[in-house]
Amino acid sequence: MTGTPLVEADRLSRNFPMRTGLFGRHRDVWAVRDVSLAVQKGETVGVVGESGCGKSTLGRMVLGLESPSAGAIRFEGRDLSSVAGAERRRLARRMQMVFQDPFGSLDPRRSVGAQIADGLRVHRIVAAGEVDAEVARLIDVVGLQKNAAGRRPHEFSGGQRQRIAVARALATRPDFIVADEPVSALDVSIQAQVVNLLADLRRDLGLTMLFIAHDLHVVRHLSTRAVVMYLGRIVEEGPSEKVFGAPAHPYTRALLAATPSISARKVDEEAVLAGELPSPANPPSGCAFRTRCPLASDECAAAVPDLAPYESGWKVRCIKSGPSQRRGDL
Amino acid sequence: MRKLILPVSILAVILALVVLAPVLPLADERAMDIPHRFAGPSMAHWLGQDEFGRDVLTRLIYGARASLSIAIGSALAAALIGTALGLLGGYFRGIVELFTVRAAEIILCLPPLLLALLVVTIFGAGFWPLILALTLLYTPNYARVVYAATLQVRALDFVTAQRALGTHPLKIVLRTMLPNVLPPLVVQISLVIASAIVIESGLSFLGLGVVPPTPSWGLMIRAARGAMEQAPLLLLWPSVALAGTILTFNLLCDRLQSVLDPRAVPAGGAIWLRRRRTTPIAPRIAPDQVERDHAPADLLSVAGLTISLDRPGGIGSGMELVRGVNLGLRTGETLALVGESGSGKTLTSLAVTGLLPDVLKITAGTAAYRRRDGELRDLIAEDEDGHRQLRGDEISMVFQDASAALNPVHRIGEQLTEVILAHRAIGRAAAKREAVALLGRVGIPDAERRARAYPHELSGGQRQRAMIAIAVANRPKLLLADEPTTALDPTIQAQILALIADLKRESPEMGVVFVTHNLAVVAEIADRVCVMYAGQVVEEGPVAKVFARPRHPYTVALIGSVPEGDAERLVAIPGAIPAPGHMPPGCSFAPRCDHAVAACRKAPPPEFWPEPDRRTRCLRFEEVT
Repeated sequence: MTGTPLVEADRLSRNFPMRTGLFGRHRDVWAVRDVSLAVQKGETVGVVGESGCGKSTLGRMVLGLESPSAGAIRFEGRDLSSVAGAERRRLARRMQMVFQDPFGSLDPRRSVGAQIADGLRVHRIVAAGEVDAEVARLIDVVGLQKNAAGRRPHEFSGGQRQRIAVARALATRPDFIVADEPVSALDVSIQAQVVNLLADLRRDLGLTMLFIAHDLHVVRHLSTRAVVMYLGRIVEEGPSEKVFGAPAHPYTRALLAATPSISARKVDEEAVLAGELPSPANPPSGCAFRTRCPLASDECAAAVPDLAPYESGWKVRCIKSGPSQRRGDL
Repeated sequence: MRKLILPVSILAVILALVVLAPVLPLADERAMDIPHRFAGPSMAHWLGQDEFGRDVLTRLIYGARASLSIAIGSALAAALIGTALGLLGGYFRGIVELFTVRAAEIILCLPPLLLALLVVTIFGAGFWPLILALTLLYTPNYARVVYAATLQVRALDFVTAQRALGTHPLKIVLRTMLPNVLPPLVVQISLVIASAIVIESGLSFLGLGVVPPTPSWGLMIRAARGAMEQAPLLLLWPSVALAGTILTFNLLCDRLQSVLDPRAVPAGGAIWLRRRRTTPIAPRIAPDQVERDHAPADLLSVAGLTISLDRPGGIGSGMELVRGVNLGLRTGETLALVGESGSGKTLTSLAVTGLLPDVLKITAGTAAYRRRDGELRDLIAEDEDGHRQLRGDEISMVFQDASAALNPVHRIGEQLTEVILAHRAIGRAAAKREAVALLGRVGIPDAERRARAYPHELSGGQRQRAMIAIAVANRPKLLLADEPTTALDPTIQAQILALIADLKRESPEMGVVFVTHNLAVVAEIADRVCVMYAGQVVEEGPVAKVFARPRHPYTVALIGSVPEGDAERLVAIPGAIPAPGHMPPGCSFAPRCDHAVAACRKAPPPEFWPEPDRRTRCLRFEEVT
């Protein structure tokens, strides 16, 4: 890890104040807690976790679509909260987002071409006369037919829509893309098309990517570094191969064991994690995972463990971290 | 667009009459003819003459000028102001909301007629004060409607995408928000115009609106009321004009809304309102059906099942969504139906339970099912009553979305008790006890207490467990699970899969049809797998064999597209599933298949049996797999 990271989250937290009932007690619900993450140029960082772990909130905060309750996001060393107005919008050109739901992320009332052209026009990427040609080029880059520009989103299938969304994100020639579950709403064969597209674009355009997903296989396939989140906190972070190959945190191991695989494997029913995600409004004391952890003991309840270095470039938030006898066989 | 012809032409006639009134050969609307007051309709005066002997038809048309321009003028002015307030307040929230929407709402606190009276009292009666009064009156309505729509739209991803793009906020409001809040706005305009016409008439009727002798519908009604005994017809004409215009506006706005919406909404129908099937379907055997002696399916045997779109006169009627599906299920077996969206896997399972949506019809096929008492029944020929007896008892279903499948206003325990009581003759108390036991059995902690919970009080995983409890309550012989774990997180999915495996061990008789798009889930839980593509079964066989050596190019590609293993690139099947109306003449996978030859494109391939317990619908399975 050398030089200034392209994007850096520094002790990022996001809290949604919640009131139970009309006169109920005021409660803080932490969606994201104390997340620090540096993304180097050209890197693809995968964020995995189950719903409610804060991975989407993290992605939106990194793009500045939601403001953190505490902490800071730096883009090339500049604190996002210190830029505003027109300058902030100029900075937005360099960071784009691809959303999960290809049916909700496109305006149903405007033609596909107009939506791709938005970014071109807003940031004057090309001269006004060349917008149409550039839209056609982008449509070609994501592998859609030429006549797509004049049609409206509802005429396309889910996979095609996701390509349109990718084309729209690419229009501003961004350096950094946050992809929030970009393939989880798609069919298997279509999913592969979009995953390949993202991989190609990353290679050809040198994109830096934050890839958020709950499918471990997809994250492992695409990302160079992986971040595992549980209840708002990073529990494990390290090189993809290592995190998924020999996970050091019991939650990562459980997640691997729970993910079905097409290759024949012995399903260990004992490895199925009991219980459910605790409520973020009322998290357990100490390690948040201890209520479901097979290794939990009294010390786990005492304090939130640190995200401690485990190996070089590999950090784990567990006082009992280490390879287990049951290795994830992904 | 054709929908708009009727209301637009009526409206055009009304507007033309109003605009062209001065040049039409009409009598003078103010010329009195006292001797002929209250004269009935005649050749010279088609609608008769009023209390001053003036021509009623002329006054009706001139009256429309006042009434309509006040109503439309104020409705549009209020729409403009209200939409601006609602959009700004809804998009920016915070302090902007306070000064726009909340401020406008103060007006809502005043009784409408009182407000109108106030304005008219201050500014005097007449055309412009009336427009001002009505605009003031209706602005908050628009503001609220637009505000509510804005709040909804602003949370959508495409608005977020615009923000991420760095678009100027005002541009987002105008270009992205405004078109998407139009449908409710259009409806609101129709309601407001109608109601403004009524209020204008009311105010004129009270003598606070249009000043006589200028005619308006309200004034005409007022005058006619005084002479109701002598000339009842005088009251009829303006009332008819009023009602007719309002109805026309409502019709126009209804039609506009459906035209403006780019996504056509299909009409739904309640299941109990369904027409009973009058003619039973002949158990026609699909032409390409092969003898199925190889795999005797003793529990359920579906043969030649074909499901078509049934919208007489509608677009795509007769389109076949499921084509000649054969499948068999043995007692105690788990069969996975796997395929992508549009492959017909869900429709196939719905057809067996008689739960197909109204627009779909089974046009061919049989589904032989052996009941608990040994009787063989054709589920396709069964009517709604027959299905109802079987459903929830011998045949039960688990759906993907438990929160939609459970009744939100009944407690979990009650819903479970109902299912038990519906099919078994036991007491309510006993059924309740069994319900609690079942909830505990499916792994809901503290079942006694959770039985009293409403569905929304349970987590997603627990709701799914509750639905499974309902499904297995009567120990079904056949359980159809339609994507039961798709919406769940991995660790919860693993729990539910383990639960289903567990339940199967407990009742080894139960056959399970597991519909999913996830190959990995198939590999973990099923005995046999049926791969569906574009409404057909393209491959079937024991799971281990199919995954080890798939015999259809589609299955090969599907397995290759799963991002497991170390392949640098995934196998992506080019293109998309052909739409049901545009099926290629030959093999439906041919356009996307790397191995397709001329013969593949000519005629649909029959089923081949590479091994006694496997089949494939590929001409070239010997060479390519």
